[in-house]
Amino acid sequence: MKSLDPRVNRLPVIGEPGKILPKAPLDQFGTFEVFVQAKEGKAFQHEGIVHAPNLEMAFVLAKEAFTRRFLCTSLYVVDTRNVYVSPMTDGTQNAYEFVNDTPPQSGEKTSYEIYHLLKRGKQHQYVGTVQAVTPQEAMSEARKAFKNDKIVYNVWAIRSSDIRFTSPEEKELWLTLPEKKFRDASDYKGGDKLKEFLEKSKLV
Amino acid sequence: MNELALKELLYKIADDLLILGHRNSEWTGFGPLLEEDIAFSSMAQDKVGQSHALYSILNTLGEREPDTVAFTRNASQFHNSVLVELPNGEYDFSLIRHFLYDTAEAIRFEMLSSSSFQPLAELSRKIRAELRYHTLHANTWMKQLGTATEESISRLQRSLDYTMPFALGMFEESPYEKELIATNIFGGEQSLKERWMRKVAEIIGQTNLILPDWKLIKPVIGGRTGQHSENLQPLLDEMSEVFRIDPSAEW
Repeated sequence: MKSLDPRVNRLPVIGEPGKILPKAPLDQFGTFEVFVQAKEGKAFQHEGIVHAPNLEMAFVLAKEAFTRRFLCTSLYVVDTRNVYVSPMTDGTQNAYEFVNDTPPQSGEKTSYEIYHLLKRGKQHQYVGTVQAVTPQEAMSEARKAFKNDKIVYNVWAIRSSDIRFTSPEEKELWLTLPEKKFRDASDYKGGDKLKEFLEKSKLV
Repeated sequence: MNELALKELLYKIADDLLILGHRNSEWTGFGPLLEEDIAFSSMAQDKVGQSHALYSILNTLGEREPDTVAFTRNASQFHNSVLVELPNGEYDFSLIRHFLYDTAEAIRFEMLSSSSFQPLAELSRKIRAELRYHTLHANTWMKQLGTATEESISRLQRSLDYTMPFALGMFEESPYEKELIATNIFGGEQSLKERWMRKVAEIIGQTNLILPDWKLIKPVIGGRTGQHSENLQPLLDEMSEVFRIDPSAEW
């Protein structure tokens, strides 16, 4: 009988002698990175990942996974495999010091979105867009455009055409969000109710 | 304005939303993947919220408090379609019901956004964004699973064939159709059904699913007049359990 417990089903199957097989891939969806803009004019910030079968489903699932409670004006998603990552530093050096200059590349330039990590343990934030042929060139262009005195721990570059953005008419998706106070734990005033209950118990 | 006609309209829309909201919330914690569990639960919460808004409008027309209306009626006093009370079963069925129902709901409220009854027109405009997400979610899943694997396609097809007679029952006409249309309160079930059929066909057309022949389907009606399946009363008993123990409970 097949067990309903996923842990049991993940146990290795007893093999046949002499059979050598490649490791089976995990039975789960790939990941997509989610970026959220909390307010008009504020920078997009990396908030986390969702699992999804494709980019469009990732957009749909990210909307509720990441923006069902807090204010949001727009979000976008990109396949994790399309995020290019600079070397990480320990904070004594700027990540851009590890980005090499790239000689002019042949081919057509496209736009890349650039993100900085300014504090360890925080999220990457959008800083601007550069034109480049390759992700390496994009990092090198970002260095010219965005490097200053501030230490950057890590830089990300993502080709704009790989991103599923929120379209202008989809921006209404978050219009009723500020009214959905019931989604905020604090709106239930659990602390007040507990206090009231304890006060009452004292009187008895 | 015929108040009876208006109340009948408000009750059937609100009851559909409350019952389906409750049914869909039964997936909370059991969804096929965490992200979908959150999205589906969140939309279920939206539906219960929308039903509350409609019960509040009914309250201004002299009906009892929203909680009383939601938790103290028996199955025969509910005006929801049989479609929304059917038990969940497998997720493919819940997705198909979500697609068929939410497509109709979005069109219904789009029609109501120009209703001569102002509170309903205002509510329709307010919840448009929520419905936009619900239909985006439903359509994206249909296109995804309706073109993915043999299993996903055949499961959706089976659910589609099973659900269609119940879905057509959503458009059971009220005794007040003519009045509602004449007074510009609502454009009527027939008009809604025709628009719904076009939209359903458009989305199904983008998948490997086969649309059943409308002419061969016998709609399951009766829900609007309180004739329900045996599935509604147990749902109501569970939904109103806390209210019956302590009607003043707050949580």
